[in-house]
Amino acid sequence: MFLKRHIPIFIVIGVGLLTLFGHFINHKGIQDFVEKDALQWFEIIASFAIFLGSLNMLKLQMLKIIRKQKNWPYSALAVLGFAFAIFAGFFYRGANYIVISDINESNIIPITEILTEELQLKKPESIPDKIRASEDGYEIPKIFMTQSGAEIIMEKLEIFDVNMELKSKKWGAHLTERGSLFSWMFFNIFNPLSSTMFALLAFFVASASYRAFRIRNFEATLLLVAGIILMLGRVPIGELIPWWVVAILIVFGLGAISAPWIKNRKMVFSLITGGIVLFLGVGFAMGWNQTPPQILLIPVIQDWIFDYPTTAGSRALMIGIALGIVATSFRIIVGIERSFLGE
Amino acid sequence: MKKNFKIISLSILILIQLILFQYLLRVEPSILGWEITNLYFVIIITFSLTLSALLKMISKQYPKHILGVNFIIAFIVILLIYRTIGIYVISIFNEGTTFKFSVVALVSMTLYYYIQKAKSGEEIYLRPIAGLKAIEEAVGRATEMGKSVLFVPGISDLDQVETVSGLILLGHVAETTAKYEAGLNVPVSKAIVMEAARETCRESYLRAGRPDLYYDDMVHYLTDDQFAYAAGVNGIMVREKPAACFYLGKFYAESLILAETGNSIGAIQIAGTGSPSQIPFFVTACDYTLIGEEFFTASAYLSKKPELLGSIKGQDIVKGLIMITMVLTVILHGFFQAGWIEFDIVTLFGH
Repeated sequence: MFLKRHIPIFIVIGVGLLTLFGHFINHKGIQDFVEKDALQWFEIIASFAIFLGSLNMLKLQMLKIIRKQKNWPYSALAVLGFAFAIFAGFFYRGANYIVISDINESNIIPITEILTEELQLKKPESIPDKIRASEDGYEIPKIFMTQSGAEIIMEKLEIFDVNMELKSKKWGAHLTERGSLFSWMFFNIFNPLSSTMFALLAFFVASASYRAFRIRNFEATLLLVAGIILMLGRVPIGELIPWWVVAILIVFGLGAISAPWIKNRKMVFSLITGGIVLFLGVGFAMGWNQTPPQILLIPVIQDWIFDYPTTAGSRALMIGIALGIVATSFRIIVGIERSFLGE
Repeated sequence: MKKNFKIISLSILILIQLILFQYLLRVEPSILGWEITNLYFVIIITFSLTLSALLKMISKQYPKHILGVNFIIAFIVILLIYRTIGIYVISIFNEGTTFKFSVVALVSMTLYYYIQKAKSGEEIYLRPIAGLKAIEEAVGRATEMGKSVLFVPGISDLDQVETVSGLILLGHVAETTAKYEAGLNVPVSKAIVMEAARETCRESYLRAGRPDLYYDDMVHYLTDDQFAYAAGVNGIMVREKPAACFYLGKFYAESLILAETGNSIGAIQIAGTGSPSQIPFFVTACDYTLIGEEFFTASAYLSKKPELLGSIKGQDIVKGLIMITMVLTVILHGFFQAGWIEFDIVTLFGH
């Protein structure tokens, strides 16, 4: 009980108070703890915890494969992917590069031509200058995943009687070096897959919008109207919609709102028709064709909706959320909230 | 009056100790020729004793209605005197954070006051929250259909309050699944969350009297990456077709991907998050959504513990205070702009 309950609570309360007061108290020791040490501790714990997570993932997938459970090939793919990432990250650098030195002035142009042709380098015109400027040898700006790939180029350069050295990027640097095995995996497998998942959002937004915009009640209608105005206002066609279309839509909107209270349909019809005629008449008389009022322009209405009602709503939500976070943090810091420890 | 005097005296004593403490922190500690560590020790001991005396006095002897008022008065007195004297001494506060600190302290005092009030037996009304009531319904549905329950605690680590709130709710969901004997699947994206979630589930199953149904792998790690995690959870949904999906934690762009997939498999979905930009997506795609602060009240709502309920009431009072402050700020700033007063209240907020 003492180890599982009291000690964790003491740690939570102590660190919580220290972190809170660290923002206010002008003491280097406390501030260093809050801004550096505590974060580093968290990073260290998280780094070790990742082993637990990875092992758990591997264990579950391996069990699925061994027991030949339903959809086990997916698990095999997951394990293979994991093994490949570990291989490319920890065991195989795959980030070889060539350094050439002792190049005669007469050979610079032919070497540049070969490099440009074989390696399809960008900006070949800058290569001669770089070769001349390099004192410790010129590093060919290309990373070779395998040594044999590099050796093919080296063979082609042998005729120029230059000094060539095949090197490998340092461990750690090979992860970020474009062209290495790990970066190949990142840019050619991981990135497209992530982008695919992200791109799915476009379709999901469409289906979710369809569901949200179905007219069921007043709020849904309001959402639909606001949504259409926002969509139109943010595309070029929105600017082309003339003032009188917006005016007619406003009259229709007002008619739709007032219709439930007016039982006589002829009256509703007359009001809407009268409203349209009046609106258009006033508009033409006042020269709105040349300078329409701002309120009848879709982009302006869109901006207004976005800047005022939306911002007001979202800020109200944010204040509520912030207060919720403050109250939860307070409960945790003073030790009242212990549910996360299983109590 | 006498009691008020005692409280204020004790508060001033605390204040004097604070000032002394800041001397020790910032000025050469040659007082009495002691070592600085000895002085720290003495100050901390006396500070703790005075503070405990103050807390004991105000929590026992006072009627509830004046308890909080006294508390707040004592705090304001401390702060005002400290600020006045603090001009002549080097302040222990970072420059420009005194106002923030006062607000934090005031909010904490208010919450503490209402927690004490609730503890002393005052009944606190909480409006029904449909999303929380529906948890049992969702788990029951899963049990009837013979399918599992999926719980997604978001993609953030345990340093986010939303994740902690999500785990608190996981405890309740796990207890319900244990009672109903329904399967529970909790894929997580952070290893630390995995350990915490396991602990929560284990305790919940134990509390429900069904430790035999608990196994570690009901909480399992997928990946740290956002979209890889979304893909993994989507895969689980499509393959296993859980009858109920809970999305309670901190979410980003993956929220709609998850919720729409859950919708497509016909699961009953309950979501809650503190990310304002994701709430509309959840509202659209889920059956129930805990909006904003509702998500953070879940623990109090479900446990019905008075100390937790008290903090919810305190939270609402603070919200009321914020509203009043906002209106007053608008009015006073308007007066300043009109040239009727010289003090611009906005400068208090660092503008």
